Amino acid sequence: MSSETKASPSFSVANPPLSSSMTRYRVMVEKELLELVRSFKLLWVPLVFILLGIMQPVSTYYMPVILEHAGSLPDGTVIDIPLPQAAEVLAQTLQQFGTLGILVLVLVCMGSVSGERNSGAASLILVKPVSPLSYVGSKWTAMLMLAWGSLAAGYLASWYYTGLLIGAVPLSKVIGSLLIYGLWLTFVVSITILFSSLLRSPAAAAFSTLVGSVVLSLLAGLFPKALGWNPGALSGFASQAVVSEISDSGKFGLAILVVFIGMASAVLAAAGALRRSSAVE
Amino acid sequence: MTTLLQVKGLSKSFGAVRAVSNIDFTIREGHCVALLGPNGAGKTTTIRMITGLLKQTSGKMEFQGAAEGVHYRSLIGYLPQSPSFYSWMTGSEYLIYAGQLCGLSAATAKLRAKALLERVGISGAAKRRIGSYSGGMKQRLGLAQALVHQPKLLVMDEPVSALDPLGRKEVLELLRELKQETTVLFSTHVLHDAEVLCDDVIIIRNGQVALQGAIDRIRENHRKPTIELQVEQDEHSQRWMSTFSRRIQSLLNEKDEGALFQDVQLQNGIARFTVSEMDAARRMLIEELAREQVKVSRLEVGHTSLEDLFMKVVTG
Repeated sequence: MSSETKASPSFSVANPPLSSSMTRYRVMVEKELLELVRSFKLLWVPLVFILLGIMQPVSTYYMPVILEHAGSLPDGTVIDIPLPQAAEVLAQTLQQFGTLGILVLVLVCMGSVSGERNSGAASLILVKPVSPLSYVGSKWTAMLMLAWGSLAAGYLASWYYTGLLIGAVPLSKVIGSLLIYGLWLTFVVSITILFSSLLRSPAAAAFSTLVGSVVLSLLAGLFPKALGWNPGALSGFASQAVVSEISDSGKFGLAILVVFIGMASAVLAAAGALRRSSAVE
Repeated sequence: MTTLLQVKGLSKSFGAVRAVSNIDFTIREGHCVALLGPNGAGKTTTIRMITGLLKQTSGKMEFQGAAEGVHYRSLIGYLPQSPSFYSWMTGSEYLIYAGQLCGLSAATAKLRAKALLERVGISGAAKRRIGSYSGGMKQRLGLAQALVHQPKLLVMDEPVSALDPLGRKEVLELLRELKQETTVLFSTHVLHDAEVLCDDVIIIRNGQVALQGAIDRIRENHRKPTIELQVEQDEHSQRWMSTFSRRIQSLLNEKDEGALFQDVQLQNGIARFTVSEMDAARRMLIEELAREQVKVSRLEVGHTSLEDLFMKVVTG
C-alpha cells in the first residue's frame, strides 16, 4: 500500500464531491416525496387546508342563515350581521391556518427524523456515504413542499370562494400575503424538524414546537414594539398585507431575516445532532 | 496478505461507563473475522464505531485501500442486528435506493438490485412491501443492501442471532459463500458460528480484547489434555472424590506453573482435570485409585475444546 492510500485516520474524512452529493440529495428528496404519497399525506394535508380555506368565506356568508336555523332565538328576531370586507375574510382564513393548519403540519413532521432514528432505519441510511446534512435537508425540503403546496391550495381556494360570495381581492395582494405566511410555516416546519432530531419522542417534538410557536406569536402580539421583529409576527404581517399595507417595513424586513437565519441554523443544528450520534437505541 | 482495517486503541465511554477500552486489532484482506463475546461485552459498540455510526472517545481506525478524496464509508457494507427498513417500500425499491445512495447510477442500481435479490433468495418478494416480510427475509434484504455497492469490508452485527434454526442455517450458508468474495467482520455470542465461518477470532470481554488470533492457532495453542473421572455412588468413592479434588484444588492455589494438574472442575459427580502431561498424570491417578480402592465407573482421556477456552476467557 502506498502512503497516500493510508491517509484516512478517522471517519471524518473528506465529503464526497459536490455533484454526487447533489444526486444523493435529489434521490433522497424523491424518496421522501414517495413516502408522502404512499402514506397519503400528500393527499389529506392539502385537503385539510382546502377545507379550512373554503369554510371561512362560506361560514361567514351563511352565518345569518345558520343562526336563523339554530332555533334558539325568539320569533321575529332580526339578524343583521354586516358582511365583512373580502380581505378580512382572507385574514381570518390565515388565522385558521395558524391554529389547525399548523397543528396538522407539526403532527405530520414530528416523527420525520426521530421515527427513523428510533426504528433504526436511519442508521442503515447514514452508514452509507450520505451526509447528515443532506439527510435532514431532504426531509426538510419534502416537508416544505408539502407545507407550501397545502397552504397555496387552501389559500387560493379561500380566495376563490371569497370572490364568489363576498367580494374580489386583488390577486397580487393574495400572493404577497401567501408568501409571507409561507415563511412563517417554513419556520415552524424547520423548528419541528430540529426538535425531531434532538428529541426521541415525536410527541415531545410536536409539543415543543407548538409551545414555541404560540410563545413567539404571543410575544409579537404583546410587545409589538420590542419584539415585533420575531418570526411569530409574520402571520400578523401576512394579514396586514392582504387587508391593507404593511405598516412597519423595518420590523418586517428584520423578521424575514430572522426567519432565514433561524431555519438555516435549525437545519444545521439538526444535522449536527445527527452527526454526533446517528441512532438512538 | 495486506491489512484492510487497523484499529488502534479504540475506546468509547458513555458517561462514566467505559463500554470499550483500548481495543487493538487488524483485519486482513480476504479474511473472515468474528468478534466474539458475551452479551454486553462491547461488540455492538465496537461495530458501530467501525461503521462510523458512533464517534469514538479515543483511538483511531485506519482503512487501507481508500483512495484520496473518497469517503471510506463507501467501502463498508453494514448489516445491523435487526435491520429496519421503510416498510412502505418494496424490497426492490429499497435496494435501488440504497444503491443510489452509495453512488451508483439509477440504471446500475437497478441491475445490482435484481441480481442481489436473486442471490439472497428473495426475488419472489421483490415487488412486495417490506412491511410484509418475515424476519429471515428482512435479514436477507439487509444483507443485500449491505452488498449493493460491492464493499471491501462487510460488517455485520449478530447476523444470525435473531433467526430461527432454519433461517440461521440458510444465512450462515450464504455468508460462507460471501466470504469468498469479500472481507467479513461479524459479531456473535455463539462460538459455533465463529468456528464454522471464520479464519480469525477476537474475543472481547468487558470492553477489552481478551484473546485474538487465527482460530486454528488458538485451538492449537490452548489445547490441553484432560482426564474425566466418574466414580460410583458408594460413600467411600464419593468421599475420596471430594477429598482428592480438594487436594488438587489446594495445590492449584499455589500457582505452580509446572504442576501436573492445572485445573480441576467437579460437576455433577464428574471430575475434570486439565493436566500438563498426560502420561504422568494418568499413571498417578490410576495408582491413587487402585491404592484407595475407589470404584471407578468411567475414566476418559481427551482435550479441552474451544468452547472450554471461550468459557474460561469470558468468565475468568
